[in-house]
Amino acid sequence: MQLAATLRKEILLQWRTRSQIAAVFIFGATSLLLFSFSIGPNSEALRLYAPGFLWLGLLLSSTLTLSESFHLEMEERALEGLLLLPASDRSLYYGKAIANAFQLTLLGIALIPVMVVLYDAGTTRIPAMIGVIILGAAGLSAPGTLYTAMTSQLRSQQTLLPLLLFPLVVPVLLAAVKATSLIILGDPMGQARSWIILLIAFDAIYWSLCGLLFGRVVED
Amino acid sequence: MTGTVTGGWEFVAAAYGITIFVVGFYTVRAILGYRAALRKVSPTSGETS
Amino acid sequence: MTGISEVSFAAAETEDQPRIRRGPLPYILLAVGTLVILTGAWIGLFVAPAETFQGNTQRIMYIHVPTAWAAMLALMFAFVSSFAYLFNGKWAWDARLEASIEIGTLLALLLCIQGSIWAKPTWGVWWDWDPRLTTSAVMVFAFAGILALRKFVEEPGRRATWSAVATIVAFIDVPVVYFSVNWWNSLHQTQSTVGNIAPAFRVPLYTSAIGFVILLTGLIMLRARTSEIRLSEEIAPPLEPVASVGGIRS
Repeated sequence: MQLAATLRKEILLQWRTRSQIAAVFIFGATSLLLFSFSIGPNSEALRLYAPGFLWLGLLLSSTLTLSESFHLEMEERALEGLLLLPASDRSLYYGKAIANAFQLTLLGIALIPVMVVLYDAGTTRIPAMIGVIILGAAGLSAPGTLYTAMTSQLRSQQTLLPLLLFPLVVPVLLAAVKATSLIILGDPMGQARSWIILLIAFDAIYWSLCGLLFGRVVED
Repeated sequence: MTGTVTGGWEFVAAAYGITIFVVGFYTVRAILGYRAALRKVSPTSGETS
Repeated sequence: MTGISEVSFAAAETEDQPRIRRGPLPYILLAVGTLVILTGAWIGLFVAPAETFQGNTQRIMYIHVPTAWAAMLALMFAFVSSFAYLFNGKWAWDARLEASIEIGTLLALLLCIQGSIWAKPTWGVWWDWDPRLTTSAVMVFAFAGILALRKFVEEPGRRATWSAVATIVAFIDVPVVYFSVNWWNSLHQTQSTVGNIAPAFRVPLYTSAIGFVILLTGLIMLRARTSEIRLSEEIAPPLEPVASVGGIRS
């Protein structure tokens, strides 16, 4: 199936350019460090705001990883060739979106120990943490892949991609930060579930919507 | 909730004033923009070569 | 899905040209709308009684609520225009899209300013994380971003298609944002903007609201005309068909 082929190609590409994702990880970790300086040595506050900083760092890093994912297509004008294949734009979109989500998930998981160390914000509920990161990464990746496809055809991608993406993913940011916060700081009333449902709803809406619209964005 | 808010006319004036100014400014700009665009494409504005 | 992508070819082949529209209708709407708004404002400011708890600052609602309705209507029309353009490719819809996004963004910005001015005497802060106010702020950024996108795309067909896609994505996000902030707000139990208006205050409110909608219609119509004229300048008119195929006209 074409989706599997696209996905395999994307993951292979990511593996081959893994030094780039290492650089993005360093960027993300540096961001977390800088955020901690904005608070100072106030361990209470650091722990309280750790989830917010984690997701902000991930959001900022996402613009880097997303723009990389279309870099190759833009360079060789490979996009047009790919789209000549039948039923191609859908599988291209989902292949790239899944690969991007996967990359962001890895990044998020890698940033957890950084968060634990810098903000003293640890948790034993690892599966829940990873679940939230997967859902949040998926929420960033769906509209992110659509807008990256659009903006990589323009010179001003660096400015336009965050400009378009960030207001859109406010619900993801809100829900992911709240859910992460409840996991780390405790959840006596079991509210995390509602935030996770919100994340799932956002993902469901945007993975279908952006898949439908992708074709119009890459057509010529 | 707790008590009553007294006075406050300056806030009302500010809100109304800003709104009327902004909407008015935009309306005038829209009208002028439309007339300028019309003038550009109307046959009488055609120049030689 | 194939239906949607097939239409893009149809748009290129049909001879749809942006039209230069004239006529007094927008001006009439603007004039009538302005009059009605001023009437409503006068009633709201000088005739209606002050509210019990908020005092006179409650009068801001007579302009705030109509602005909110107008903003939503403008963006809803943008949403409809997006679909219309994607399905039939007529330039008029791109013109209307540009107009309604611009006006909707401006109104949403006004909403934030008005809400802020209302919040200060009422709650003592310039910004309360009220779901409506916060959603308005997100809307301003989301749709201003689409306006920025339009500035960076030079080819008109692409600009139209991409703005339409972005508008659909952004508009669908609006209820999601509202819902998330609402839920987040209710957990923190922050103050919220007073929503319901008692019957005694309805006359000035509905008057202003009707006036705003009339003004809005006139503004969108006018602005869309300007956009369409500019589009017609961008897109070259079709060439005259040659009388004989491959032949030379004698």
